[in-house]
Amino acid sequence: MSSKVSRRQFLSYTLMGVGGFMVSATVMPMVRFAVDPVLQPKGEGELVPTQQKADELTETPVRVDFTIKDRKDGWYKSDVSNTAWVYKEGDTVIALSPVCKHLGCTVNWEGDEKHKNEFFCPCHNGRYEKNGKNIPGSPPLGPLDEYVVEVVDGYVHLGKTVPNTLV
Amino acid sequence: MNWTGKDMDTYLQQKEYIDTLVVPLVKVETKMDNMKTSASSTEFVMHLASLIETQFKGRMMFAPPFSYTPATDHQQMAQSTLQEFSAATFKHVFFLTTDHIWTSMELPGQVIWMPSIPLENMDASLRQSILEDQLRQVLPKFTEQWAK
Ligand code: FES
Repeated sequence: MSSKVSRRQFLSYTLMGVGGFMVSATVMPMVRFAVDPVLQPKGEGELVPTQQKADELTETPVRVDFTIKDRKDGWYKSDVSNTAWVYKEGDTVIALSPVCKHLGCTVNWEGDEKHKNEFFCPCHNGRYEKNGKNIPGSPPLGPLDEYVVEVVDGYVHLGKTVPNTLV
Repeated sequence: MNWTGKDMDTYLQQKEYIDTLVVPLVKVETKMDNMKTSASSTEFVMHLASLIETQFKGRMMFAPPFSYTPATDHQQMAQSTLQEFSAATFKHVFFLTTDHIWTSMELPGQVIWMPSIPLENMDASLRQSILEDQLRQVLPKFTEQWAK
């Protein structure tokens, strides 16, 4: 894709100039969306603060909602609401993505009465253990993704999703 | 799944899992007095549709919204245009609307009628929680059909 290169060149040239600053203020949010994965070093990413206090977490996963601002997608959305299942394992905070690895429905902790202590996907009865490991015999073929987590000033901050490291 | 080329590719490979079609029905009015209500209801239906889509992406295909005006002959729309969806492609078909008229029509699927809630002045988190409340109410209608 040659557009990627020219866009990056465009960025570096304009950012060097004084006027570039003003251009970047308007263009950046849009360009960043497209260029981000390329420029971002691995393992890092923008972390988004959530309302969840880290010391209120227990071993039981709770749903944490957070919003990524200024994402243009679809007709009506400017912010993207995201959800994570967050719990503590010893001192480590773990945040799992609720997106089912089968076909992408949203999974729920103990979403089915018959299966305690598991994540459940209502679409085709997909099941996962607490660490996100898919349970053989149910449709999902891989474990739930993890979010990059950081605790900042006592609050859970969440970044992008990465493949599950716990399983 | 949304009505996009990419999602459709997934659908074509996973037909046996994606067995539900949802069709939003929205009334577009251009008479001054009703225009605001029309816009606000459409916004509500589309937001709700998008929330349901995220939750049930892997089982539901969302058609683009079907729009009509007050002059539309609903009976006829039900019997011709919308009848198309009774074809065997999807096992379950739902129509999502805030327009009460559809509840009294013969449609080739379940009509899910919701009272419209004006979302335009709410901040994002209130809107989200209102929509989730609504979602919780419509959920049983889907699961009931799936369980059959
Ligand atoms: S999408 Fe979760 S089990 Fe199929």
